[in-house]
Amino acid sequence: MGKKIDGRIPQNSGDGAGFKQYNAVQSPWNKLMSYQDALHYASRFESVLSAAVAQAYRIIIPDYATRASEMCKEAYGRLLYTGMNYPNDDGFGIHPFMCGSYPGALIGDKGDDALLMCGRCQDFGTYRCEKELDVCDWDICGSELCRATTMSLQGQADATASRHRKGHKLDYMMVEAKGCGDRHCRIIAENREKYPAPDHELWESFGPAVSDDYKKYTEEEDCVSESMMFREECNYRFVNGTNNETDSSNQMVNLSTAASLYLLPAIDNAVKLEYTTAENAEWIKRCVLEAAGKAMFGERYAIKACREWLGVPDSIGEDGRVLGGVIEMLLQSLVCGYEIEAFNKDEVIYVINRGDLAITGTQSLCEAHLYMWNGMVKTLVNAMWSVWEEDSPKGKMRIKIGKKIDKFM
Amino acid sequence: MNKNIFAHDEWKRSEHMAVRECVGYYLFTHQIMEVTGPDACRFLDYMYPNNIASLAVGRDRYTTMLNDDGEIIDDVVIMRLEEDKYWVSTLYGTQADDWFYFHSEDYDVDASEITDEWHMFAVQGPKSKDVMNSILEGNVDDLKFFMHKWDKLGEAEVLVNRGGFTGEKFGYEVYCNADDADAVQDAIDAAVKAAGGKEVTEFQVFAWTLPTEAGFYYMRDLGHTNPFEVGLEKNINWDKDFVGKAALEKVRENGPAREMVGFEVCDECEDFYITSKQYGGPGEPVYIDGEEIGRVSKLVYSYVKNVNNGYILAKKDELHIGDKIKIHGYDCVITEKKWL
Repeated sequence: MGKKIDGRIPQNSGDGAGFKQYNAVQSPWNKLMSYQDALHYASRFESVLSAAVAQAYRIIIPDYATRASEMCKEAYGRLLYTGMNYPNDDGFGIHPFMCGSYPGALIGDKGDDALLMCGRCQDFGTYRCEKELDVCDWDICGSELCRATTMSLQGQADATASRHRKGHKLDYMMVEAKGCGDRHCRIIAENREKYPAPDHELWESFGPAVSDDYKKYTEEEDCVSESMMFREECNYRFVNGTNNETDSSNQMVNLSTAASLYLLPAIDNAVKLEYTTAENAEWIKRCVLEAAGKAMFGERYAIKACREWLGVPDSIGEDGRVLGGVIEMLLQSLVCGYEIEAFNKDEVIYVINRGDLAITGTQSLCEAHLYMWNGMVKTLVNAMWSVWEEDSPKGKMRIKIGKKIDKFM
Repeated sequence: MNKNIFAHDEWKRSEHMAVRECVGYYLFTHQIMEVTGPDACRFLDYMYPNNIASLAVGRDRYTTMLNDDGEIIDDVVIMRLEEDKYWVSTLYGTQADDWFYFHSEDYDVDASEITDEWHMFAVQGPKSKDVMNSILEGNVDDLKFFMHKWDKLGEAEVLVNRGGFTGEKFGYEVYCNADDADAVQDAIDAAVKAAGGKEVTEFQVFAWTLPTEAGFYYMRDLGHTNPFEVGLEKNINWDKDFVGKAALEKVRENGPAREMVGFEVCDECEDFYITSKQYGGPGEPVYIDGEEIGRVSKLVYSYVKNVNNGYILAKKDELHIGDKIKIHGYDCVITEKKWL
């Protein structure tokens, strides 16, 4: 097979026609998707991948309490370390007089908006903070993740407190969670001197809040579906109460995922703690992620919708280029660098920058994508096709979409 | 659900009222930009719209900082410590640092952030003068408003500034070296408690409820406004050049498009749901005849008047004192922007 790149419509096709240029990602067939849609697409796709990784983690540690506990401890410790060693008070609008762990709420608030988890801060004070989310793309990953994200916030908050003069500690709790079926996610942080409650384990930071009476519940008609950075009434900027302000221009490159930030590190930690071996963990991830990929296009209507979405011409039948289009849209949406080595009816080869795809430095996220893509191609194209890594240069992941026969597949 | 986070909170009330009726203190360290050099005065006079050149050594001045569009990007207190040495007290140090850098090319001036070297304790309230005189080697008897002086507190050299963010007639800010902060706090704490006061620990009290009663602003209130819209145009020195002047002159000529007004949520609406910009986000919209004419900038509580009070940034001349309006279905009334 030759490394032929089939005639693709040049990406600059139409230059000089007088059309306005705008920010978008572009399919191999020049179907454009706006920056905003691309961000939503990437966020949700990564969430689906993360949900599959969560299932792998559930297989590795079957007991809920043990699993949630280990995940919370790992997330708390890692984010405490990150917060201690890479402080960014100015970046979150944390002032020098803000002592104690309540400024951690500013970190969570900004992070939520960047991750498209839109909602509102309902209370922000030394002894009590409350944040309510109307949307969470991670709501399909399981309640262990809800617990772990809360504990990562606790870690960040405690790290912030350690850099300031002594203040009051807050106990961050998730008292409602979309991942548990609630209308909102709601984090309430309370100081136990003012709002006494019995001690609890890290993983049990799940409410109810002592100050439940103060809860501000946003009714359905007032809920929002976009982050501040995409809303006109917010002047298309995230702004918190300390006037910390950002627009959407750097959100794609900062997109973190549940898999990269919580679930894959939790699995690595489970291996370290000898709940399973590294080989078995990898095998379980592969099995689950391939199955998840296959499930994405198990119905014909999903294939038709995908082709329509990508603008695949009718002249292109069942071949690897269709999955190539999906992969390219995702990589562009994640601002992940890649080169096209081959793109034809027989094979598609991409050389992907590992560093870009390993979001938040989680290297195993590259393999997680590969497993998922290998599952996806089986239903989006057909079972003759596979996706595998081959002859990768250093720092790259060279993936091939091609036909493959393997009697032990 | 929706229980008022201020009205029912006796903890906040007691800290707030300690300042109003006795004395309260709190850590209130801001970021400090130290500006020195032969052109320090000329530079700051260009960076800020109010008159900095006329500021005497030992005195302070409040001023906004503007961008080229005449929008407020910071509000600060500038202290002239020496002939060519100023401290700029800000909560936007990173931005000020950049803004200074980009405008300093033609000036023989050095600006650096010294926040980590200092802490500041605010001592505020009717008995604050007595408290200060009981702990300082010298006294503050002759210290007028927005005047500062060096003194000794125990072994520590401290800079005492008369001023604050509470609207109290007597209020002081004690700047001390970071290494001396524990000892200085211990001394202030003991003296304040001996006077019947207490430490103010709640952010919402020292950043929101106390200043709002006095009609003061906290950062987000001023975001994307100009001085004419928020009533801070009075001390602008139009006889000099300053950043944002050209844009602001147009506002002066045409009049501001918006204005900040005060409002209260009526008594019977003790517990309510109204969002405000102080928590981030756009704030609750305010409608008149179906048209959005403003947004709620701030909504807190006056423990002196026992009312839910705040600010609305509204289209100019749409709201007048005494107007009764509904916000998110709750009865509200437009008021002066001061509750003391």
